[in-house]
Amino acid sequence: MQVASRRRGRIRRWLLLEPLSRGWRAAIFAAGGAALGLAIVAARIANATSYLSDAPGACINCHVMTDAYATWERGSHGLAAACSDCHVPHTGLAAAYAFKAADGGRHSYVFTLRREPQVLRLSRGAEPVIQANCLRCHGDLVAMTRPAAGGRRCWDCHMNIHGRSRSLSSSPAALRPRLPPAGLDWMKKGLPP
Amino acid sequence: MSLSTPAATPSGRPPRWVGPALLALVAAVVVLLGLLAASIMERRWEAQQPALIVRPLAEWEPDNAAWGENYPREHESYLRTRGATTRTKFGGSFPRDYLDEDPLLVVLYGGSAFSKDYRQARGHYYSVQDVAATKRVGPAAVGTCWTCKSTDVPRLMAAMGAKEFYAAKFDDLRPQVAHPIGCQDCHDPRTMTLRITRPALRDALAARARRPEDAAHQEMRSLVCAQCHAEYYFREGTHLVFPWAKGLSVEEMIAYYDEHNFTDYTHAVSKAAIVKAQHPDYELYASGIHAYRGVACADCHMPYRTEGAVKFTSHHVQSPLLDVAVSCAVCHRWSEEEIRARVEVVQAKTAGAKASAEKALAAAHFDVAAAAQAGSADADLAGARRLIRHAQFRWDYVASSNGMGFHSPQEAMRILGEAMKEAQESRLLAARLLARRGVAAEPKHPDVSTREKAAAVVAAFAEGRPPSLLP
Repeated sequence: MQVASRRRGRIRRWLLLEPLSRGWRAAIFAAGGAALGLAIVAARIANATSYLSDAPGACINCHVMTDAYATWERGSHGLAAACSDCHVPHTGLAAAYAFKAADGGRHSYVFTLRREPQVLRLSRGAEPVIQANCLRCHGDLVAMTRPAAGGRRCWDCHMNIHGRSRSLSSSPAALRPRLPPAGLDWMKKGLPP
Repeated sequence: MSLSTPAATPSGRPPRWVGPALLALVAAVVVLLGLLAASIMERRWEAQQPALIVRPLAEWEPDNAAWGENYPREHESYLRTRGATTRTKFGGSFPRDYLDEDPLLVVLYGGSAFSKDYRQARGHYYSVQDVAATKRVGPAAVGTCWTCKSTDVPRLMAAMGAKEFYAAKFDDLRPQVAHPIGCQDCHDPRTMTLRITRPALRDALAARARRPEDAAHQEMRSLVCAQCHAEYYFREGTHLVFPWAKGLSVEEMIAYYDEHNFTDYTHAVSKAAIVKAQHPDYELYASGIHAYRGVACADCHMPYRTEGAVKFTSHHVQSPLLDVAVSCAVCHRWSEEEIRARVEVVQAKTAGAKASAEKALAAAHFDVAAAAQAGSADADLAGARRLIRHAQFRWDYVASSNGMGFHSPQEAMRILGEAMKEAQESRLLAARLLARRGVAAEPKHPDVSTREKAAAVVAAFAEGRPPSLLP
């Protein structure tokens, strides 16, 4: 008991950098503040909070997803399901956010460094997630059938989930919602006199 | 003093190196965050401003580089048609002499210039150079031969009138033709809307009560190609006409040519009146499944690409097999290897049928010549020669089209099947005529196994000193 509370006290002292001299504490806090401030700006520009939600708009923060968005929006699933209903696991909050973080991390790395392929395909990790989500809604339909050997996926046959095909050529001039502005409204309007 | 606990010195002061390290660390974090923010802002900007007009274009601007200032991505991809080394299993863009590859062509085209020079044209970038280099275009050539070769043509036609342009001498127009196939041929310089600049297609559509202005954008993405990648002939020696008045199928074209009594050349061996088919790419495609599904030429040959946040049309016009991922795989979501193998199976079958039709046609030309040598009158030979005329046009309709039948696999095989049937029917007629003259044995067909041997045989027939084909 005593040991635990002593350790907690030490952690608290270190978080506040108490063992250091005042000058060092001020310098480290200032540097940390600068980095944190810029991180907030970058998060704002990147529309980062949207990733916490299930809004489909979050997926087109990244422009390569425009055709996926446009074909989904005009397809039958556009009336009933959002991106995350199929592309994020629904086995619990922790699994959902862990999956989002892993996928999002890879996507932002790929897109920032211009490594994106011309044709996007499902990653190996995404396949079982989507399959489970197909069954989450449509499970009743296939309850009487036996899954075929070789791990058939629903979309091996039902290839038209994103409209006729999800591709650049199926959405030649797709309109997409505009991203929210990176600046702040009052900065655009100017302060009242 | 331990490195892992630098701050734990008795005085509460960390060691010296911590200051610079902290500075470097924070600087690195701030720089990376700043770069990320800048990258995101650049992509946002890219997505909103795909075109930046730095130079307004003149109405008939022929210079592709001038257009390229406004549309750098499209122009840069267009410049890649300079690559002349690409190969697919049956095509590609590399220096290639069809007559060396297939000596039977020398026989089938015997009596026309195609029998002397028939090489693969390279990419769009070389259109002016390649038409000036072919031996098929001689001193007698007319302005019509420039029609599909240069962005200077719409300007010249606007200034001279299409009729006068066609009637001019090829060599007289040469100084005014400089820029290869490019932007002006398909685009309105002010709006970039697709437009038809060549009167032959406009007239052909009008004959079918259609106007390009009524075509939807997706249809225009094929029609701009159809301006040139179509069957045509020169009416009255100079006027460029598509034989579409009855329809686009091979039967309707044959009926059109028969009705207009049009002949490109009299065959050197069989004396059949031959119509040379000229790459009816659009027509063959129009009968295929991709056309039925509304897929345009540009969808496969000029696929959309993304570059960062910008989506643009690749103007590197080429075989889709050279970039299966962006052309086929956007709809057919299998592996590239599987797609390519599937296409090559279709093409190999067409190539096999095409080769059979060629052999049957060459045999038919010699059999009919043998019947003539045995003393059959022209009136008796007319039926067999007419069958050859039709059979050869059918074969050529597929053979001279790009894509080795893939534009419409079933139709290509049907046409080649009909070509073989008609060629064999003409041989049957010739055999009967020979039998009537007491020749029961098979005629002796000369050796045409190399280009040189085939050319010598054709020349002997053309010069009126043919070898005897009678057994």
